[in-house]
Amino acid sequence: MLSLPLLKQSIRSNAVMWGSITGVMTLLCIQFSMLDMTRSLLFTIFYGMMTTILPGIYVLVTANKLLASQVDRGSMAYVLSTPIKRSAVTFTQAFYLTGSLILMFGIQTLAHLAANAANPIAMSTLGYTMLQGDLTSKMIMQVNLSALMVCIALAAVCFMFSGIFNSSKYAVGLSGAFVGVSVLANMLAMFGKLGVEGLKNFKYLTICSFYDYQSVLFANNDWIEKMIYPALIALAAFAAGSLVFRRKEMSL
Amino acid sequence: MLKKSKIGAIADTSDNEIIKVSGLTRDFGSGKGIFDFDFSVKRGEVFGIVGTNGSGKTTTLRHLMGFMKPDSGSCEIMGLDCRKNTAEIMKHVGYVPGEIDFPDVGSGTSFLKIQAEFLKVTDREYISRLADMFKLDTDAPLKRMSKGMKQKTALVAAFMSRPDVLLLDEPSTGLDPLMRDTLIELILSEKERGATVLMSSHIFKELDDTADRVLFINNGRQTDLIEKESFSKGKPRTYRLGFRSYEEYDSFVKHTALDIAYENRKYLHLDVSLTENAVNKLFEETAGFDIRYMKFRPFTLEDHYTEILEGGKYSA
Repeated sequence: MLSLPLLKQSIRSNAVMWGSITGVMTLLCIQFSMLDMTRSLLFTIFYGMMTTILPGIYVLVTANKLLASQVDRGSMAYVLSTPIKRSAVTFTQAFYLTGSLILMFGIQTLAHLAANAANPIAMSTLGYTMLQGDLTSKMIMQVNLSALMVCIALAAVCFMFSGIFNSSKYAVGLSGAFVGVSVLANMLAMFGKLGVEGLKNFKYLTICSFYDYQSVLFANNDWIEKMIYPALIALAAFAAGSLVFRRKEMSL
Repeated sequence: MLKKSKIGAIADTSDNEIIKVSGLTRDFGSGKGIFDFDFSVKRGEVFGIVGTNGSGKTTTLRHLMGFMKPDSGSCEIMGLDCRKNTAEIMKHVGYVPGEIDFPDVGSGTSFLKIQAEFLKVTDREYISRLADMFKLDTDAPLKRMSKGMKQKTALVAAFMSRPDVLLLDEPSTGLDPLMRDTLIELILSEKERGATVLMSSHIFKELDDTADRVLFINNGRQTDLIEKESFSKGKPRTYRLGFRSYEEYDSFVKHTALDIAYENRKYLHLDVSLTENAVNKLFEETAGFDIRYMKFRPFTLEDHYTEILEGGKYSA
């Protein structure tokens, strides 16, 4: 199912985007966890927004490049004129998209673990005065896992649009609207959580609500249950995009 | 029907019709599309498709590549349905698309390398020989390549697996005349090897030089299918005569019994058309005149095309 040459091609053509987003995310994470000025905002700003906005931009651009843009520009002809099945194309591209996200979160998690080990942060500094002790490595890994799952769902939805449309403008347009609304509604919902009553209901508008770092910090298991929904969304969206791509017509 | 064969070796099919298109119809609405295409290409044959822009050449090739689904009818390559067995067919096919845009992988070299991996081509030496043949510097970045370089890169990618079947959509676009000749040589040597070639073109010369049969299409319909061997038989032979002076020219026009197909007094030349084996008559008629030059103009595909398109007599 997996086509190595195609995987190689995808890695090569998306390396710059992946590298810069991963770099920015990792540096921001280190900055928020190390610098006194920003440490208290590690969760509200970095884990609250950056871990969905930055991967959101990455998946929006990359998912389009993996299928729709190649069909639009015509370069998909070179892939499909080889003995590779269309199902192998979608499988490989979905594998690349998911794998690159896992690697992105893996690197930033490792960076945070190292930073946190060198300079542990107390829960009270983070604004959770009712909690004892420091932020643990386990918590860091769990928070990132929860964020990763939601980002995979975002990626899958972008991938679905990319598989359905032969034209970049529709794929990017719809994926962009979806990612934009998800990320923005998530930010507004966060203000709701911080006390602005009127913005509370925005949490129902975004799949980012399935990413629940507070549950991790309070050590209850809500976040695990909440991972099921984005996982299902991801599976359904990957399947839908692949199915349409396998059957559709292309002008190559 | 089809035994799985190594790439490069000609697949063993009992059927001699490598490409078979039957009743292929695809209606894009408002009269656009292709309607009821019926033709087959035999093993080792070079088959040309000629038509104006928008007449359906590319659409036909896209159906053969399995990128599009016909409204009715079918197309087969090596006995396999183009839409259902695309991946299997692609083991035997080299394709040059009509519109060239490459994956975003940097240089031509890395593109060809990845393409070779896709096609499981291990003969790197052959790839560089093809590149040398086209005087192509593969190290150039794909994005900066000129139209001609892109076309050459696409040609190398299509020919490098020594495929059984070559589907070429206007393969000489962007090539200079010398490179066009190189391409013609390459196509002929592939034919020699046993490959079956289907190419669309509006450059008549390359089809004159390569094609065994040529299919003419217009507005999505087949208008004519000709055999290269026999199509000029029975056609009038055209000779161009150049004169020294206007007096000579006018007097010839006035007195000759020959059929004048085309006149150009300004340049003092005209075309006469003769039936086959009537060359002696030409000498008789021109005997008293001061003829500057005389040239045989073979009946070309272009003449034929103009003839059927205009529905009238050929005129230069």
